[in-house]
Amino acid sequence: MKNALPRLAKGSPEHQAIEAGEIDAIIDHASSNVILLPAARRALRELAGRPAAANLDAANEVPMANGLLAALPPAEYQYLIARFEPVTLHAGEVLQEPGAPIEYVYFPQDCVICLMASVDPQVLEVGLVGNEGMVGISLALGREVSSARALVQGAGAAFRMKAARFQQALGQCLSLQRELHRFADKKLALARQTAACNRFHAIEARLARCLLMTGDRVRLAVFFLTQACLADMLGVRRATVNAAAGLLQRRNLIRYSRGRIRILDRAGLEAAACACYTRIERLG
Amino acid sequence: MTRRAQKPKPRRAHTTVVLLRLYIVGGAPNSVQAVANLEAICQEHLKGAYQLEVVDILEHPQRALDEGVLVTPSLAKLSPRPAAKLVGNLSDKSKVILALGLGGKMQ
Repeated sequence: MKNALPRLAKGSPEHQAIEAGEIDAIIDHASSNVILLPAARRALRELAGRPAAANLDAANEVPMANGLLAALPPAEYQYLIARFEPVTLHAGEVLQEPGAPIEYVYFPQDCVICLMASVDPQVLEVGLVGNEGMVGISLALGREVSSARALVQGAGAAFRMKAARFQQALGQCLSLQRELHRFADKKLALARQTAACNRFHAIEARLARCLLMTGDRVRLAVFFLTQACLADMLGVRRATVNAAAGLLQRRNLIRYSRGRIRILDRAGLEAAACACYTRIERLG
Repeated sequence: MTRRAQKPKPRRAHTTVVLLRLYIVGGAPNSVQAVANLEAICQEHLKGAYQLEVVDILEHPQRALDEGVLVTPSLAKLSPRPAAKLVGNLSDKSKVILALGLGGKMQ
């Protein structure tokens, strides 16, 4: 990589972007080579080590990249997978609004969805859903409207199905019904724990919990959460997020720059998180 | 000879479609972020009046060479003129808006 750099003029936008850590690869026209920068190389290596979930073209071969679906007997899994549509969800997409009819259910593979409650004009994270769960649980419980806002926090792949089709499919799949009831119970316990956490725990500890939970669901060493996102999730001002993140960074637990988060010391971050993290993880 | 005044032709409203091309490394962190950021900005400011081509240079390395791409992620605005180029993960929204000429009244 060092040889390719001199070909990019110092002070050029390309050079500046590399210095700022915003570049994944350099194309060396002299040697006709693509040079991956270390972070990109690591991310691709990790992707390669994961099941083909990240490759939507191989959706038919996708092994069970969603925990709920993975727990199903093969026949039910095959029945459902034929009815699912693989989609890519983008950060900032709103999947559901409270009080609105549920249009689709989503089973995340490597994206992260934040459930938000609002007390105008404030919003607050009341749940986080990744590949361990699904979005649209109300349908499985006989309600056709959503109770929370579902916002895509971490972009990635998911399976989705139209509400009516899902209700029909659910009628045929006893194991899925059981899994979803178990999941709903876990979500209820999680919401209760989150309510207590949001009320009593210090912002730094809550931020650490938030980062750990997101990292667990997105399954990458590096992920993105802007300060605005975190402020909304934690129900605090951006300045408060900035200060709390700064504290975690000074303790070398995370590196946080321009929305990009890397967990440096997982054990340390778990220790910094409130006890709710382990309690929530045990709830699964 | 008097020239007959020409009636002005009725102006048909038309939406300019912005053509964009984003060169990425699929799955790499900055590229993932660039795609997400760009799509959000386009949805907000162009409201669908855009076409975005995403080129994964690991799948199409020759295109990167032929089209003069130096680094990824790299955004090229192809149309309308003036052409523009921006590199990086596009997290600086105002920079993207400026580069694409999205500030101010949309044509």
